[in-house]
Amino acid sequence: MTHIHVPDGVLPVWLWGSGWVVAVALLLIADRASRRVTARRRLPLVGVVSALVIVAMSSEVVPIAYHMNLTVLAGALLGPSLSIVSAFVVQVVLAALGHGGVTIVGLNTLLTASEMLLGWALLQGGLRLLGTKRAAPVAAAATVATLAVTTTMLVGLIAASGTLGATERETGALDPENLTFASPFSEGALRIGLFSGGEHGQEEEAEHAAGEAEHAEALGLARFATVVYTLGSIGWVLEALVTAAIVGYLARVRPSLLVQPRAPAAVLPAPAEHHGGA
Amino acid sequence: MDVRLVDTVATSGSSPLHRASPRTKAAAAALVIASAAVTTNLFVCTGVALAVVAAAVLSRIPLRPYLSLAGYPAVFAALFAWASAPDALSGALIVSKAVTAALAVVLLLFTTPYPQVFASLQRTLPGLVGDALFMTYRAIFVLGEKLDDLIVAARLRSGAGRHPIRSARATVRALGNLVLYAFDLAQREYDILALRGYSGRLAVPVRRSAAPAVDALALAAGTAALAAALAWRVAWRDLLPYSWMPLAAAAALLVAALVVRFARSGGTRHA
Repeated sequence: MTHIHVPDGVLPVWLWGSGWVVAVALLLIADRASRRVTARRRLPLVGVVSALVIVAMSSEVVPIAYHMNLTVLAGALLGPSLSIVSAFVVQVVLAALGHGGVTIVGLNTLLTASEMLLGWALLQGGLRLLGTKRAAPVAAAATVATLAVTTTMLVGLIAASGTLGATERETGALDPENLTFASPFSEGALRIGLFSGGEHGQEEEAEHAAGEAEHAEALGLARFATVVYTLGSIGWVLEALVTAAIVGYLARVRPSLLVQPRAPAAVLPAPAEHHGGA
Repeated sequence: MDVRLVDTVATSGSSPLHRASPRTKAAAAALVIASAAVTTNLFVCTGVALAVVAAAVLSRIPLRPYLSLAGYPAVFAALFAWASAPDALSGALIVSKAVTAALAVVLLLFTTPYPQVFASLQRTLPGLVGDALFMTYRAIFVLGEKLDDLIVAARLRSGAGRHPIRSARATVRALGNLVLYAFDLAQREYDILALRGYSGRLAVPVRRSAAPAVDALALAAGTAALAAALAWRVAWRDLLPYSWMPLAAAAALLVAALVVRFARSGGTRHA
């Protein structure tokens, strides 16, 4: 679940605005961390890996409304700081292709970057523990664990947004019974809740309405979580199989792409040099 | 998603909208997205969507790929709507918002070459991020072609079609080869960039408008869409009975645009 498939105007401004602020801050940090020449050398790699992820995300598995992500693989190839850059680039290009809202690019960047970073960490840790010979099962486990965590983050974001049941807005509805533009759910041209339905203007109904809204929100969130976890888990297995196969292949053919070398130990000067020579 | 087709249409198109300023088109698209975000009226949202389709019709872009690309987010929006909206109207509004915003950004991409779309954005982004945007878009084309070739080669070798598991293995091996190819390509690209004097910023000049009247019209249309969305949101009690008006106006505009397009294409054929 690399990103939220929610259109513009559904999530509250404070949420997507915060997403943009945090994403920009992370991008600035990543840009600063990537100023070394070795990181600049990897700039074209950011381009090609991001392109791989975009191509994967554009191929939908229609029956379960899921698309491949390859984010764990991307994280493994790019490392932490460049993963953040890649996550942003992927979301901007996808938004430009109409895939995902423009206002939620910030939130989507955070979700994708989390997936890449967590995938990178789990894969690196697993490969160091078990070695590249077990790269495929390590990659499969890392993918499933990563997608489970980011799916939970996605459900958490939707719960935090409060859009499932709490937001009351008018929709300008057409009454299908009599083809008038009055509200089909209440008398007269009254407000129809975008998620909860109905305007409860009378004070005596306020308490009842609040209770109903809470109930509707809990119900909506439960339904949303059920759908996402049910369909998503099928997608996790598919994603894990593909990622495991690719990582297993890379581990056989070119393992240096997957296992990043540890930082070399500091070279201590020889005692003679240290003390100014013999 | 055929990004290559989008790019071909954007670079070879000659309609007035193709000649307009990229910045103006981006601003107009932003206004349409803002109107989709602001509106809570299904009819107003659908009306804005139809008006954008009318602009696409007049721009003479291929409608089937345009509508299928812009309709892609509807699948996911419908899933979200089904899971969260309490009634069909609210669900339809969610899907309509997704499709309206997608129609606007996809129209921008169909009428503007991608370096121009990203050039303005690049100036506001850190150097590495802006450059990565250009490299990514270019790599989509390179990798897309390479992936097609690799999959054909892998399937020919594995006798795909008769053995689905062998076919799946061959496809995944093709993907693995693609990653290796991508890695080597990236290193070659950096060497070429360094030879050409790359110092941490790709410079892309923003093209000027060749159709100032269309610029003004696009901005006016975008502003009108946002104004309508705001009006029906703020004064919804008074305007609710008139919700059909923007929809009817946009539908009439779309019919007129279709008539003009088919009349022109008929005239061209006869000529």
